[in-house]
Amino acid sequence: MKAGMRTMLVLGLICVSAWQAGEAAYIYTKAWLAQRLIASAWDQARSTGTAVKPWPWADTYPVARIEAPRQGEALMVLSGASGRTLAFGPGHVAGTPLPGEHGNSVVSGHRDTHFSFLRELHKGDALLVQGANGSVARYVVSASEVVHRKDMRVLLDAGDDRLTLVTCFPFDSPVPGGALRYVVVATRDRIPLTRI
Amino acid sequence: MKMFWNRSLIVSEAQGYSIARDLVRFVVTAVLAGTGFAILLAVTILGLALVAPPAEASSGPAVRNEGAPSDRPGDQTSGSFLMRVRPGGEYVRSPVLSTDVKFKVSGTVARAVVSQQFRNDSQDWVEGIYVFPLPENAAVDRLQMHVGDRLIEGQIRERAQARAEYEAARERGSLASLIEQERPNIFTSSVANLGPGQTLTVEIEYQQTLHYLDGMVSLRFPTVVAPRYIPGTPQSEGKPSGHGWAPDTDKVKDASRITPPVLAENEPMRNPVTIHVELDAGFPVNEVKSRYHPVKVQKRDDNRYEVSLAVGPFPADRDFELVWNPLPGAQPRGAMFLESAAGESHLLLTLFPPFGVKADDKRLPREVIYVIDTSGSMEGTSITQERAALRLALGQLAPEDRFNVIQFNSATELLFPSSREASVKNVVTARRYVDKLRATGGTEMVPAMQAALESPAKEGYLRQVIFMTDGSVGNEDQLFKLIQRKLGRSRLFTVGIGSAPNGHFMTKAAQLGRGSFTYIGDVDEVGEKMAALFGKLEHPVLSDIVVDWPADLNAQSSPEKMPDLYLGEPIVLSALVQGPLKGKVVVQGQAGGESWTAEFDLSTAHDGKGMGVIWARRRVEALMDSIHEGADREEVRQKVVEIALKHHIVTRYTSLVAVDVTPVRPEAEGYDAEPVPTNLPDGGSHAGYFGSLPKTATPAELHLILAILAAALGFMVYLARRVS
Repeated sequence: MKAGMRTMLVLGLICVSAWQAGEAAYIYTKAWLAQRLIASAWDQARSTGTAVKPWPWADTYPVARIEAPRQGEALMVLSGASGRTLAFGPGHVAGTPLPGEHGNSVVSGHRDTHFSFLRELHKGDALLVQGANGSVARYVVSASEVVHRKDMRVLLDAGDDRLTLVTCFPFDSPVPGGALRYVVVATRDRIPLTRI
Repeated sequence: MKMFWNRSLIVSEAQGYSIARDLVRFVVTAVLAGTGFAILLAVTILGLALVAPPAEASSGPAVRNEGAPSDRPGDQTSGSFLMRVRPGGEYVRSPVLSTDVKFKVSGTVARAVVSQQFRNDSQDWVEGIYVFPLPENAAVDRLQMHVGDRLIEGQIRERAQARAEYEAARERGSLASLIEQERPNIFTSSVANLGPGQTLTVEIEYQQTLHYLDGMVSLRFPTVVAPRYIPGTPQSEGKPSGHGWAPDTDKVKDASRITPPVLAENEPMRNPVTIHVELDAGFPVNEVKSRYHPVKVQKRDDNRYEVSLAVGPFPADRDFELVWNPLPGAQPRGAMFLESAAGESHLLLTLFPPFGVKADDKRLPREVIYVIDTSGSMEGTSITQERAALRLALGQLAPEDRFNVIQFNSATELLFPSSREASVKNVVTARRYVDKLRATGGTEMVPAMQAALESPAKEGYLRQVIFMTDGSVGNEDQLFKLIQRKLGRSRLFTVGIGSAPNGHFMTKAAQLGRGSFTYIGDVDEVGEKMAALFGKLEHPVLSDIVVDWPADLNAQSSPEKMPDLYLGEPIVLSALVQGPLKGKVVVQGQAGGESWTAEFDLSTAHDGKGMGVIWARRRVEALMDSIHEGADREEVRQKVVEIALKHHIVTRYTSLVAVDVTPVRPEAEGYDAEPVPTNLPDGGSHAGYFGSLPKTATPAELHLILAILAAALGFMVYLARRVS
């Protein structure tokens, strides 16, 4: 092999490496940056009282804000749980009540970005949820389990007011698209709260 | 970059070899080159993504309805898939079922004998429960239970009483079977005390009128109840009313009775069906064909044929449909059948189109609302059929028309906030929107129906709603009530999509919506079926239809008021008549601004068996419909029971029950209720019907690993240069 070709090969591999690193960086950056934009849209919406899109062509909008005080996480929940939405933030699963409302509200998020903190959520941990009308509800983690992706019981109304957080499982698998889901259930705590 | 690379190599050669130095040099070079490239790439992509809208979003302006779902509380519904999970492979003890159907067709009336054979392969005593579909206008009037060479005839009883008799027999250990109606097109067949290794056959007979549409008579036999979407909140108190996968909810109180368990994804199909048809068309037949199953057609004479399946039984996973048409010019004008018994006669009158002249050619501008079901049950072949049908429909719009597209699954989404003119630009926008339709989520049909019927109708336009769906919902009555209340000037045309559409929903919604229905069961049919639909969309061809009976004849006809007819539709009239059967029945109507008349001499009527049953079935249907209009439920129930008991037919309020006297099961041995699992409709998928939790992993880590691998490989190649 000629020296020039070898040099080109080495350079090519470095570029491939950089491209892959870039893809990863893009995913993380998008996940991070979108949350910032959405948070500001949320604040704006709350002060003006009208729905504000986080960026002009966004096809989704924030429906709630979830905070995990012990883990130091605060996340904006978006409407809909399609792949495109989940890149920007956790998505509210259509057909279930909105976070903070009566019934079983289901939110799903990426296990390796927004919802990576789910593995650190333990029984008894608090979650604070701010709905679109500004009211804040407190939830306490009551259970977590691993289910099959077809187990739609997760979406069932259980007769109480709860927040169900869904993410993929196992957390550390490098390959996406597995059949298992990690589910955290937090039950509404009835102590009234006024603000986060 | 290249300069730096070359210089660094020269330097290393001058100073002698060291792998540590090489590694440091490679890493420094790679990190500098790579980071630069990565940052450049990331910034470019991110910049592009944030500065210019992504292609998907830019192609369809106003893709979301401006009033986003959360702004309209009516759209936020809390239903879900609500699956009571029964893991796969749990049906080993349920009876094995096979169905054989024999049809006798005369004219546009069919008599069917459906034999359901239950075989218990387990070591225990079981109660077999099978939820199955029949045509939505089937009048089930006979039940026979065959065990060995014994035969027990079923009796018609009020529903509660039939169940009590059945349960009493079940508890004392006797053989018994029960046929209950859950919907006009869903029935439950229960057999009690089926012993280990035993076989029992339940034979059900029904009578129906066949659909005649666009020059074709159609014999349609559904074979599977597609999984229905059940809206509402589960009712937790009390025992579920049935053995289905869905719990009863506030919106669908009998959900567990209409959702038979479904086989797990990889289990082999069950419930084979065989079909045999003896056809006497009443006119010389041009062609007999089966739409979805290969058949063997044997000709007896010009009018009579015999049809059977060409390749043995087929799995119960899609409708069977046999259609035939008359030879050109051989079409009769009509047919009249009469059945007389005990002073009363029942009559069935069918008049075939065309009626008079074709409607005038003046085309009124139309406002067309296309409503498309994009719920998970449409996933697979159904959504393909829908997209194809919609593309054709959009092409039919004239520039002076207005239109809108509404899709619904768990939420309802309008393409435009209100209907827009069919300009090239708007139609192109709609076409792009249609191309991107994906099927997922629940079937919340009420908000979509509301949006379609409620959006303000433009004056001077014919307002037509084209509703494409498989009708896989459990809350039909709620929808019918809505259609009746909100229809206004709109006309509702249903298009039944897929291999096992809900025929009850399709026909009843079209009837209440004063439109017509169409079935598309295969993507190859889209062109033909949609063309027929476009013909109907212009105008009704016959309106203000009135039927006059001879003065001394007391006639009670069904329907009481004839609906307007669209192109290709027949007049079908059933009546109970008392008095001398002489004189003429005169049918009058308006066709294209001219009056149209047809006369039938009562003395020319043919003798027909089962006309009374058909009349009773239609009468019951009209009574049940009156509930949506606000009639008193209890009053209706009493009237229905009276007719049903007299004519021996199964209704919502009456069931057929057959009970053996002698107990067969030893008291010491108990029994288990075992529902018979059903197949999924052909072309559908488990994930589509029952959903799947969202995918929630990014390939970010994979990218990182690949990045490291590529870098490591690069370093090895770099080292290899050294070694050589």
